[in-house]
Amino acid sequence: MRKGTISTYFSSTFLVGSMVLSLLFTSCVETFEPETEIFESALIVEATITNENKRQQVLLTRTFRLEENGPNPESSATVRIVDDQQREFVFEEVEPGRYLSTQVFAAEPNREYQLSIATSDGRTYGSESASLTPESQILDLYASREENTNGQDGIAILVDSQGNQSGTQSFRFEYEETYQIIAPRWVAVDAVVVRERPSPAIVVLEPKTEEQRVCYNTELSNTIILGDTEDTNQNGLIRFPVRFISSDNFIISHRYSILVKQFAQTREAFTFYETLNEFSSQTESLFSQVQPGFLTGNVVSLESESESVLGFFEVSSVTSRRIFFDYEDFFPGEPLPPYASDCSLEFTPDLLPSAPGGASPLVQAINSLRQKYVEATGDDNRPFILVNRPCGDCTALGSNEIPEFWEE
Amino acid sequence: MQRIFWVFTFLLPFLLLSQEGTSTISLTLQDKTPSEIIQQVEEQTEFQFFYVEEWLGTKRVSGNFEEVALSQILDFLFEETNIQYHLGPDKRIYLIRNQVIYDELPTGFFGNKTTLLDTVAEIRTEEDTNPIFLNLDKLDGPLETRTVRIGKASPQAGNRTYTLTGFARSNSTSEPVPNLAIVVKGGEDGTVTNLQGYYEIELPYGKNTLITKSLGFADTETHVIMFNNGRYDFALNESLEQLEEVIVEGSARTNVEDATTGSNQILSEETKNIPLVLGERDVLKVATTLPGITTAGEGAAGFNVRGGNTDQNLILLDGAVIYNPSHFFGIFQALNPFAVKDAIIYKGNIPARFGGRLSSVFDISTKDGNTSNFSAEASIGPVTSNVVLETPIVKDKASLLIGGRGTYSDWILRSLDDEALNNSEASFYDLIAKYTHKLDDNNSLSATAYYSRDNFSITSDSLFGFGNRMASLQWDRKFSEKTKGQLVLTNSQYNFDIEFDGNSNQDFELGYTINETEAKLNFVHILNDKHTLDFGISSKLYLVDPGNRDPLNSESVIESLEIPREKGLESAVFISDNFKFSEKLLIDAGLRVSIFSALGPSTQRIYQEGLPLSEGTLVEEREFGSGEFITTYAGPEFRFSARYLLAPDLSVKASFNNTFQYIHTLSNTTTVSPIDTWKLSDTNIEPAQAFQYSLGLYKNLQEDMYELSLEGYYKTSDNVLDFKVGADLLLNEEIEQEVLQGEGKAYGVELLMRKNRGKLNGWLGYTYSRTFLKFDSEFREERINDGDFFPSNFDRPHDVSLVANYKLTRRFSLSTNFVYQTGRPITFPVGSFNFNNSEFVLFSNRNEFRIPDYYRLDIGLNIEGNHKIKKFAHSFWTISIYNVLGRNNPYSVFFLTENGEVKALQSSIFAIPIPSITYNFKF
Repeated sequence: MRKGTISTYFSSTFLVGSMVLSLLFTSCVETFEPETEIFESALIVEATITNENKRQQVLLTRTFRLEENGPNPESSATVRIVDDQQREFVFEEVEPGRYLSTQVFAAEPNREYQLSIATSDGRTYGSESASLTPESQILDLYASREENTNGQDGIAILVDSQGNQSGTQSFRFEYEETYQIIAPRWVAVDAVVVRERPSPAIVVLEPKTEEQRVCYNTELSNTIILGDTEDTNQNGLIRFPVRFISSDNFIISHRYSILVKQFAQTREAFTFYETLNEFSSQTESLFSQVQPGFLTGNVVSLESESESVLGFFEVSSVTSRRIFFDYEDFFPGEPLPPYASDCSLEFTPDLLPSAPGGASPLVQAINSLRQKYVEATGDDNRPFILVNRPCGDCTALGSNEIPEFWEE
Repeated sequence: MQRIFWVFTFLLPFLLLSQEGTSTISLTLQDKTPSEIIQQVEEQTEFQFFYVEEWLGTKRVSGNFEEVALSQILDFLFEETNIQYHLGPDKRIYLIRNQVIYDELPTGFFGNKTTLLDTVAEIRTEEDTNPIFLNLDKLDGPLETRTVRIGKASPQAGNRTYTLTGFARSNSTSEPVPNLAIVVKGGEDGTVTNLQGYYEIELPYGKNTLITKSLGFADTETHVIMFNNGRYDFALNESLEQLEEVIVEGSARTNVEDATTGSNQILSEETKNIPLVLGERDVLKVATTLPGITTAGEGAAGFNVRGGNTDQNLILLDGAVIYNPSHFFGIFQALNPFAVKDAIIYKGNIPARFGGRLSSVFDISTKDGNTSNFSAEASIGPVTSNVVLETPIVKDKASLLIGGRGTYSDWILRSLDDEALNNSEASFYDLIAKYTHKLDDNNSLSATAYYSRDNFSITSDSLFGFGNRMASLQWDRKFSEKTKGQLVLTNSQYNFDIEFDGNSNQDFELGYTINETEAKLNFVHILNDKHTLDFGISSKLYLVDPGNRDPLNSESVIESLEIPREKGLESAVFISDNFKFSEKLLIDAGLRVSIFSALGPSTQRIYQEGLPLSEGTLVEEREFGSGEFITTYAGPEFRFSARYLLAPDLSVKASFNNTFQYIHTLSNTTTVSPIDTWKLSDTNIEPAQAFQYSLGLYKNLQEDMYELSLEGYYKTSDNVLDFKVGADLLLNEEIEQEVLQGEGKAYGVELLMRKNRGKLNGWLGYTYSRTFLKFDSEFREERINDGDFFPSNFDRPHDVSLVANYKLTRRFSLSTNFVYQTGRPITFPVGSFNFNNSEFVLFSNRNEFRIPDYYRLDIGLNIEGNHKIKKFAHSFWTISIYNVLGRNNPYSVFFLTENGEVKALQSSIFAIPIPSITYNFKF
């Protein structure tokens, strides 16, 4: 729990500390557009193989300049994992930078695995050998209405877990959240352009052909969530917060589901992720900044010791659990959080173009796919009221297919 | 006597009238005491009076004056009294009880009345003149020359020198006159009377002329004809001096004449005109305007002296160590400015009596309380208020000074609208008390106690605090004229604690404490004219509680953890000889032998030789019993410096010194943080060591009005600490596995120009300096920047500071600071990458880039209150604007990952001009 509590504690303290100062002493923190002064192209290796029987995945990317946008995949590399019985698992590139094992396999206990990579420019890289971490259990996964440290009301997704390692249990969590979206101003019909030209354009109402009222969207976690039992007398975590969703976040408006994956980690892997997190989160206080430096993982260049390679190869046992809840479960009778889009805005574009030979504003609005029909006005010049598309069509925010795992 | 009276009564009103011009005054007096009348005059005119109230008496007078000259009123007022008035420059009027003056003047004093009058007549034509009586004294020397014969002539006398001994006493009180300079006219020989008034001087056969000079006594000139050894006593007339004109120049030439390189003194009182942020007077902040002393940035706690780390400074308050002399992350100093007398900073050659840190000593002394009257000094500023009270306990012998200082930032926070902020707490305070007692002429005792505390509760679930505590007891004893001794006992403690009380089961409290107790015995013995020895012993016991963590309540699953206490004993013997080799060459040669032992009980981990320390290379855990010596480090520290006078006001100095440091801060942040901990050397962490060579040229100009110094240094250090990337330092039992020990080198040239007197005074400093570190090893994880030298976090090559104060009038003065520094090095990313569905930045080599240069201009206006004596208090206003140019000086640059994307942020502490107003008063 070392970082779990103490550092989170510091980060918030110092962050708010700077806010206090900014009020008292006009200190300020402002963003700027960084430019790479000296660019160093380094290979980035993300390789966690698990005890799930599946096509295991290795991600290879390279660094890119600060002013550019990633990712920068490393293509055409040869990726292999060899175990201590000389069994070889070959990987193939399924999309740029994403390599999947050609065969389905699960990491087995008491085996040593080693990753080797040869990039297209002929350089070779290897990892230290790693073995499967002992299995851990998620004892419970539950949602609870809480206030976070900043006093914000919301839903905390908490996990109780149990590890089986000797000594400190170290866990890394990933989640996949899926939420139901209900378009608040959905109607069964759609305005369809029958004739655009010549003027006057003809727009008619037709029943919608696809589901646009209820949709689902799935998002992956993009923060490093780490928990360990270092400072506690437990061999697992209790009420460990994996995710906090503030009460004004629209994703919990209806039904919400989260799949939490718990990776049992070695101390080394945990420290690697922890340091990466530390360099990039608010532990950087205004007054004392953590000294950053090169983060050493367990993947190195086999040719040149001084070449920077950032990556970690781990063989981790994973366990997962999913829960569902409804907004009503925690906020009975309370108003819904604000929707993702402002649905009080209404538009009544003219049917006729403002200048002869011009385009019909109504047709333009419908064709832009940014607005949706909601009501007729009865006025022939401005026949329809339109709203922002997400308000009438949930496919703007998610998929209208019900996920396989979905339970009502 | 009558003649003098004439001078005063007729001449002075004349001066008064001539300066006053046509200004007249109307006054109606009804049953007023003289002091009330003076007050009334002060209010109506621009004149200020200086006097002792008791002299004026309480006789009430009445009268009516219409459009009369001020002199008329004063004549009326003092007609039948013994008060004389005198007009000084700037419309100041001095009231003097002349009787005292004349009564004490010797009868032979007025032998030559005509000369006296002539001189007075000349003075009359001068506008801005000294008071006449001062000039009278100046006249007395030549007038009083007398001739004495010493001893009987003997036939073989002509080629010998003889010894003249004697005694100097005051004519009026018959008390001995110490420190009287007796100089042979036309030569360089001379002597000084000792505290009992005795002197001894070698004089050649024949006629010599001796001149005596002393503060408070009239100069004399005596022809002494030496025939043999003999005795001659001086009887001296006290001289009367206008206080304002007394300029004590005791230390005027120490810059040139001292043997020590790289030392500076800052008087707390001097700093009151220097504009500082939020009007806070701060000796330590002022220190950073001197060459060679920098901070990592504004708001950064700690100092970097000549390329040394922030943990390499020994900060002493009345002899006791203060570990963290700052409040609020370093924005304010934790010392009450009114209680501080001065700070002497040694950044070059550190005297042998100090040790334990590599880079510098900040020897801060507090004021002795007032032994005659109750007095107080206080200030009210926008963020803090200070007060210091001084009171005699035994008149003229013992006194007590107590001071307190606090902030009202808590109140500011609570009155804010923001919910997150008005639940926060950010407060600090410090308290100081000092008792001094002069037991007798030879013994004095002083005791100081100090406490400081900072508290933060920024989120509702956490409370964070840190504080210093110290006590020192000092006994000074004079064994003889030549030997003085001092015994100092001190105890200091620094601690911080964190309490986390959220609503999870992770509530805990955490604490760190370092405590040290030292006894130091120091003697100064004047061996003879040439040698002064300074020697002694000291011993210090450290107790470090590196941390404990406990669950806050029964629901908490936090496990109690206590990192075992560390104990260490640091002792030293030292001796130094201030050796006056010749008039020109002064040598200060010192040797300090320090020895440090880590003491049990303890468990020491032994690792495989030659491999990085890690769990994998651990060989055994060795147990040590209580008080057992675990490991001992010892070494000689040389403190050598020499001065050679090229001319009386020009000298060259050189020094070499080395130092050891047995205690290290553990910090993996780029600047000092209050949760940095201190760790003692042990089996795995060796003491750090530094060597410094310096050479300088010192020159004073225009009778010490200007001081110039140019000093260069080269410094190397060994076993300085750094940490592996991402190291966890707090509550880490195996801290040595995270530590890297490497070497440092620093060099620089410092130029300082000071103007000490005049309407415009201040200093201008320029420093060029570099500082580098190197961490090399066979193993990549123990190397930083491929094992090459890299600039340290506080490597700021160019540093210019200007501190200037301009006196507009006696009441108004303008002051300004200007600072320019090269931006400090930072570690900048070499690229971004994707990992775990988010973007991060990659850091490669440390400190390859710099944040933009730092510059700042501050101005301040100081207004002295009216000098009316009757006023309740003497007041002083400071209005200042910090960072007038509104320069947004970046303090740090950092990169965050938020919602999967990298965000680059730049922080600055004081980005806009900050005005402040502070009211000070004393009585």
